[in-house]
Amino acid sequence: MQLRAELQIATAIKALKDVIIPAIDPINKLAVEQSQLVVGMLALMAQQGPMQFRFDCDELARLIEAARQFDEVPAAGADGLQAAIGQLKASRGQAAEVLARCTVDPAQLTEQVRGLRQAMSDTVAAATASGQAAAQLQVERIVVAMSREQLLRDRSLMKPQGWEPEPEKLPDIATLLAPLPKA
Amino acid sequence: MSRAAALPAIDKNRPSPEWVHALRARYPIEGPVDTLLTRKMNLRSGPGYSPIALDTLVAGVGALVHHELGHKHFTLSDARWLSGGASKLQMAFTLDWERPGVGRERTPMVLRMEPAESIVATSRLREFQLIRAFDGVVPVPPVYWCDDLGDHLPYPALIYGFAEGVTKPSNAVSGVSGAGTKLPPELRRVLAPQFIDHLAKIHGRDVGTANLSAFEVPAAGTHCAEWGVNWWDRVWEEDGDEAIPLMGVISAWLRRNLPQLDAPVVVHADYRVGNFLFTEHDSRISAWLDWELGRIGDRHQDLAWTTNRAFADVDTDGKTPLVCGLMPESQFYEAYEQASGVRINPKTLHWYKVYNSYSLAVLLIGTGYRISRLGKTHQDVLVAWLTGIGGLLLDEVCGLLDQGA
Repeated sequence: MQLRAELQIATAIKALKDVIIPAIDPINKLAVEQSQLVVGMLALMAQQGPMQFRFDCDELARLIEAARQFDEVPAAGADGLQAAIGQLKASRGQAAEVLARCTVDPAQLTEQVRGLRQAMSDTVAAATASGQAAAQLQVERIVVAMSREQLLRDRSLMKPQGWEPEPEKLPDIATLLAPLPKA
Repeated sequence: MSRAAALPAIDKNRPSPEWVHALRARYPIEGPVDTLLTRKMNLRSGPGYSPIALDTLVAGVGALVHHELGHKHFTLSDARWLSGGASKLQMAFTLDWERPGVGRERTPMVLRMEPAESIVATSRLREFQLIRAFDGVVPVPPVYWCDDLGDHLPYPALIYGFAEGVTKPSNAVSGVSGAGTKLPPELRRVLAPQFIDHLAKIHGRDVGTANLSAFEVPAAGTHCAEWGVNWWDRVWEEDGDEAIPLMGVISAWLRRNLPQLDAPVVVHADYRVGNFLFTEHDSRISAWLDWELGRIGDRHQDLAWTTNRAFADVDTDGKTPLVCGLMPESQFYEAYEQASGVRINPKTLHWYKVYNSYSLAVLLIGTGYRISRLGKTHQDVLVAWLTGIGGLLLDEVCGLLDQGA
């Protein structure tokens, strides 16, 4: 799937800078200022997006560490404080469990998707070049079956663009995606 | 070494001459198309597209007109941008000039120019020759001059006459590039017969007398189909980013089932709603546009293209698909056979449906991604937007492959 945020943001910024902003009436100061801010906001998204996951993991790790230090706070006689520290400890435990499962950066996931797509494409090419009709047919069957399932999801993801002649017949993407595997 | 292991060495954004040479050798295609694709790859590592001022284009047009007329007794005015189309820049202007055989005239014209890299690498000279060849055969805008190598303008360009008309009713709904255009039934009834008649006339034009020096005629047999598959396989290799295993399956299927060419004809190659203008007061088609992908080939290519689901709309009953929003598919084929006097070979038609969807997928997913990511066009945001149709196209191919050869 190529129409990802990276491309979407880059092309939106270029359209704003090259075409839209130059066409804004300079007398309309509000429009001029806000259009520049939109460019800035999009550029910020482009910069932040790839590291957002690591940023959040990093923050959670430090929050957990800091929360651990609250155990040492003398709270005897302060019921409210004791209760809050107890609740913090429980929250810290849940957070630590989640953080322990955050071992793969989403960028690695897309890298593996691309890698497997490439290896499968190479296998298709090799099967074609082999001249072994049965092997080629079997490879093609597997690829077509896999592609149909994936294309259903690709189309559903892009449904808001309006290409589908009968969009009501296409399931919504949320119903098609498998739940994330449990740890 | 497997191709997967070798891939990281290939930088498609800065292609090496050796790699380009290897692709040319691996995929033999029509000579002028080979020249275009090679030029595209040689320019790939160059700068992206930067906005060009109207004044710059006006000066370029002036230089071209001066070169063609041999004098400067003309003036250019009313220059303004036109939208429409995903591939080329268009500027409307008026030329006040001494028109040969007519006298002093203020002629509305359009400059059609490539950006740094286009969603489809095509030749302005081929487009120029095709439009000229069909003057008087079907409605086309008059073509005046061609700057095939960008000698006068920033990029290769051609100048044609401004044709009156609209691509869709003023109050119609449609997506970008005319996809999903809704035509009211009363308009369909008038446009559909013209749509059929013009296609039959295009295919009936004698290619031998059409002055198409920028084209090569494929040999009898499977040569035409093979050129076509090689063309899009090569573009997929040149431009594709993320590998798609299904693309290899489609290519292999196409090669296993290459159809025989029975009679070479001019193929418009983008014959659909959105690519003709009509005048709203009388519903007459006033001009056929976008000839840039045209070639000498198989009529089934056009027939299959026109009937692609991407250009279809559903009838008012909410269920009957209409070819280009005009008529049901079976009715379209029947009317074409009647108008052209030639039969449609269902197997060849089926092959070209797969072929066309493959070429569209290559353009939209492969080239669309590459050039918008490199900032090569005047409307990267539109080109990127169009990549989203890839899933629909490939899904359609899966259905076609299921039907067999």
